[in-house]
This record gives sequence, C-alpha cells and structure tokens, in this order.
Amino acid sequence: MIPSHLFPTTTVGSFPKPPQLQLARRKHRRGQLDREALRDLERQATREWIRRQEELGLDVLVDGEQYRADMVTFFAEELDGFRIAGMVRAFGNRYYRKPVVVGPVGRRRPLLVEWFRFAQSLTSKPVKAVLTGPYTLAEWSFNEYYPQRRELVLDLARVLREEVRDLVHAGARYIQIDEPAIHSRPEEDFELAREALTVITDGLEAYTIVHICYGDVAKIYPSMLRLPVDQIDLAFANTRYALLEVFRMYPFTRDVGLGVIDVLQRRVETVEEVVSGIQRALEVFTPRQVFISPDCGLRTCTMDVAVMKLQAMVEAARFVRTMIP
Amino acid sequence: MITTVVGSYPKIPDPPASGRWRSAKEKLEQGEISSEEFLQVEREVTLEVIREQVEAGIELITDGQIRWEDSQTYFARGLTGFTLNGLQRWFDTNMYYRIPVAEGEVLWTDPISVEDYRFAKARSPRPVKPVITGPYTLARLSQNRYYADFEDFVLNLALALNQELRALDAEDPPLIQVDEPAILKYKSDFPLFREAMITLTEGVRAPLALYTYFGDVTGIYPEILDLPFDAIGLDFVAGPRNWEVLEKAPFEKWLGFGILDARNTRLESVEELVRALDRVSRYVPLDRVYLNPSAGLEFLPRQVARAKLQRLVEAKRAALGVGV
Repeated sequence: MIPSHLFPTTTVGSFPKPPQLQLARRKHRRGQLDREALRDLERQATREWIRRQEELGLDVLVDGEQYRADMVTFFAEELDGFRIAGMVRAFGNRYYRKPVVVGPVGRRRPLLVEWFRFAQSLTSKPVKAVLTGPYTLAEWSFNEYYPQRRELVLDLARVLREEVRDLVHAGARYIQIDEPAIHSRPEEDFELAREALTVITDGLEAYTIVHICYGDVAKIYPSMLRLPVDQIDLAFANTRYALLEVFRMYPFTRDVGLGVIDVLQRRVETVEEVVSGIQRALEVFTPRQVFISPDCGLRTCTMDVAVMKLQAMVEAARFVRTMIP
Repeated sequence: MITTVVGSYPKIPDPPASGRWRSAKEKLEQGEISSEEFLQVEREVTLEVIREQVEAGIELITDGQIRWEDSQTYFARGLTGFTLNGLQRWFDTNMYYRIPVAEGEVLWTDPISVEDYRFAKARSPRPVKPVITGPYTLARLSQNRYYADFEDFVLNLALALNQELRALDAEDPPLIQVDEPAILKYKSDFPLFREAMITLTEGVRAPLALYTYFGDVTGIYPEILDLPFDAIGLDFVAGPRNWEVLEKAPFEKWLGFGILDARNTRLESVEELVRALDRVSRYVPLDRVYLNPSAGLEFLPRQVARAKLQRLVEAKRAALGVGV
C-alpha cells in the first residue's frame, strides 16, 4: 500500500484548471452552459491531470479537484446547512466565496465518491482522497446558527466520517484531511480539532494524513503529534525551512509530508534547491518518515508553472533516493 | 457620539459587479499593467469606499486601507531594514500577512502613509482619520534578526513610527488612530508597551486613539488609561470581559465602543445595539463615545459590511431619539 521506495512523492490536492474549463465554469454560473457539459470538461481535465501525474512519476496521485471552486466553498455547496455569503479576501488577491452556516449541517449524498472512483479507474497508482477538515470548514465559515462552535465542528466531523467511510469502501487507501485553520486558536480549540479528527479517522482502514499550512505550528507542537493520523503534511518551502527548528526540540513521531515547493511563488525551484531542502530536513527526520510534496495545493499557479515545479520536485526526490544507502 | 470605523473595508464589490481591484492586482503580478496604473485603480476604489462610508452615514471615516496588502506589509515595506518572508495567519482570523523580518536597522526615511491620507482627506466630504499599526504589534508579528532583544526592537520601531505620526500630524487630522491588538495577547509586556507608546506619541498635537481588538483589556486596566491617548478602542464582541473592566475604574477618556461584530454576517438589530449603548452609558457618557464595529470590516463581504454600517448609524439615531 505504501510505496516501497524512500521519499514517495505526492501533491496536496488541487491543480490549476485549464483555461477552457475556467471559461466553462464562468458560463455555467451565468446559466449559459448546462451542468452535464461542465461535468464533461471537468472529467476531461481530471483525465489530463491523472495522465500528467503518471508522466511526472508521482507515487500517490490526486484527482486534481477540477470540480471544486476552492477548498471550502465546494463542501458548503454540497452539504446541507450552508449558504454562500460572498467574496472575502484571504491574502494578496486570493479571495474565496465564504459560506455561512444557517442550519444544521448534513450530507445529502456522497460528495467525492464518484470522483474518486473515476480518477482511480484511470490509473494503477493509488489515488488519495482529499477532504477539508471539520475544524477548518467551521472556522472558515460565518456561523449564524450553532450557538457553540463545538457543536458545529463535531456535526461536521460526523458528516465527514460518513464520507470517508464511503471512500474507503470505494477503495481509497489514502485519506487526507486538510486542516489549515487548526492553529487559529490553539489554547482554546486544539483539543476540539483533535477530537473532531478522531471522529473521522478512528478505526479507519486507510493511511491517514492531515495537511496543515501557513500558521503558527510551534504553538501546537508537540501536541500536534497526538493527532490521530499516520502523517502530518506541512509547508516548509514558504518560510525557507524555518519550521525545521521547531521539530529539533522534540522528536517528530509521525510520518511527515515535506512541503518543498512554494506554491505562492511563480519562480520555479531548481532541483538543487529542493535537494538541499530535503537534506536539511533529514537532519530532523529519518528517511523512512518522509513523503515529498508541495507546500499546498497548486490551484493558483499557471499550468506550466505547476508542471515545472512538480518536475523539479520529483527529480529532486529521485536524486536524494540515490544518496541513501 | 460619533460613528466611525476601525479601518479596513472590503476591496471588491459583490458579484456580479466586477472585482476591479482583484483583476488589476492579478494583471500587476503578471506584468500586464504598471504600478502607476495599479495605483490609479486603487485610488478609484478608495473613492468608491469613501462614498460608501459617507452614504451609510458614518461621520468619521478612513480610506478603507485599500492600499494595505496587510497591516504589517504596508508599514514594513516603507521602513528600511525589513524584508518580507512567508505567510502567517493574522491573529485568529481567516486572513494572512507576510512576516516582516528585521535584517538591519529599522529607520524611517520618508512618509509611508501620508500621501494616501492626503488623497483621501482631499476627496472626502467627511473627516478622515489616518490609522497606523503600532510598534508593539508590528514587532510582535515580525521576526527580529538584528536587534539584541525584543525590547530594543520595539523601542526602535516606536522611534521610527513616531516620525510617521509627526508627518501625519502635519496634515492636521481630526484624530490619529494607532492599532495595537497584539498587546492583548502579551499583557505582561505592558511596561514595555507603555514606554513604546510614550515614544511613539511624543510631540504629536492631534488627538490620538489607541485601538485594541480580538480580546479584552483585563489585567492592563485601568493602567491603559494612563497612556498618552485621548481615546481607547475596545472590542466588546471578541472581548465581552471588557464589560467587567468598565466596573473597575471610571473611564475618563473617549471610548471606541466596538459593539458591532466585524467578523460575522449576522446583522445586529437596532434594539440590541441601543441596549448596548444604554448599558455603556452607565460608564461613559455618550458624548464621549465613538460608536464603531469591533474591528476592520474586510472580514465581511462588501454588501454585509455596508449593511452593518447602516445599522450602526440607525442605532445612533435611535439611541439619541432622533428620527431616522
């Protein structure tokens, strides 16, 4: 199930959408293109990304999220209990359509199972299923309904548990939960976030990953090691590997997803610089612990840049493999 | 009572109106437009958000901080000695900022925000207040690789930003606002904070407001009243314990009464705002109250921000018994 060689390569989940799909999404929003026609283009783009990931030589693939607007809005639109409030800025010119919880949250139908089946049918490599976590979905939405955030987070966790159960049943062997908001209010909420993750991963027959990025990781370390997952995937490149210092104090006891590509920069990393990043990380982690991935989803890169960045990453991983006896 | 805002305002309107700022920023990053062309767009958007605040009936406005990438970057890039590193979450919000890194001596060489302030002031029919991020918060959310210790870093930033305040002061503003949310997270630093605030405000003649948000001032009250400011802004939404604080000592300054939730879409009713004003009037006479949201409004979609400002103005009118 786990790739047998060292430093398996993967990605965080999202890939850029081809221009014709972006155009089609705009047309669909304006009512000028029906849902089935849009679906066809989404499937075509997914097929392309699976093929490209195989060509690049990635070990654990993703479906590329060609059918998602962003990591929060997609789930809010698919689940009961949400409406979309409007555009809110996250940083730079990155905006998302921020949802608002207006009723009890619930699942009408499986969200990702069909996409997982489709993507997995196109490749013999394992496809990882990626879901936004309950704490982040709650934290990145306005809440006009639940009196206590705790109830909202745990309700979302139960909904997502149903979803991962269905995904594992459909054959998913890798389940990744994205929780970039997990360190928003660590003193108050870390235990809640952990409890919610436990609801999702408890007894699950899959290799589980939590993805965390852009926040104060030091504040949740070493308690982060108690998260009920096999791997913690983190952004390192964006802060020039400053995060490594945090892990020197106390041994990192999970597998690590090592983010070696800064997805916010247009500049493509050289193979040498990725190699040197991995080598620095090996001062803190053992080779067996390390998966190689970008810092975060590649959604906002251009297609060319995304592919070139992944080329550098895969090549660097290959090179480092040859250096380990 | 004066209705005002804490600072930021959503940069783009709600769809289907086009997010001009956003697409211009994209073009700037792709090298398709020049920084002068982008500045032009930012100025047009500034005029738009000035108009929205005025139309909502706000009496003391800001420029909406349209030109602020984030509250750290806008000032850090105007000072010498800083580089900008990776992303970090801004307090417990869904917004991120670039971490400034002090790699050399931090010096003020030229005005940072004065040109933007002049632009807004000259074009607004209502009084405009400039806002700066205070030296303590700027230092707390930065990395220090140059100064011997944090204290040294903060006090040098206070000296640098004092020159910015003096430059703003020369523009004759009705009020200058200093934002210091970080002190609420590190209250044991209050002695250092006091020293920084004294340095920061030295020689400034304009009335000064110190705004805190995302928490309460328990533990540093009433000491905070001794700082050289005419008004203190408190967040009663994220910091409900600020109500207890008011019991402790007479509030002898102007109060920035942050009662309207800047971080949730739920629209407060006029009645609940009037009740809150009634309650606060037991501690501070209403003619010493700035009525404002709990924080900057950029956490909300534009139409919600606008509706909240209108509600604030309705609440003032209702509280004073003036017909709407």
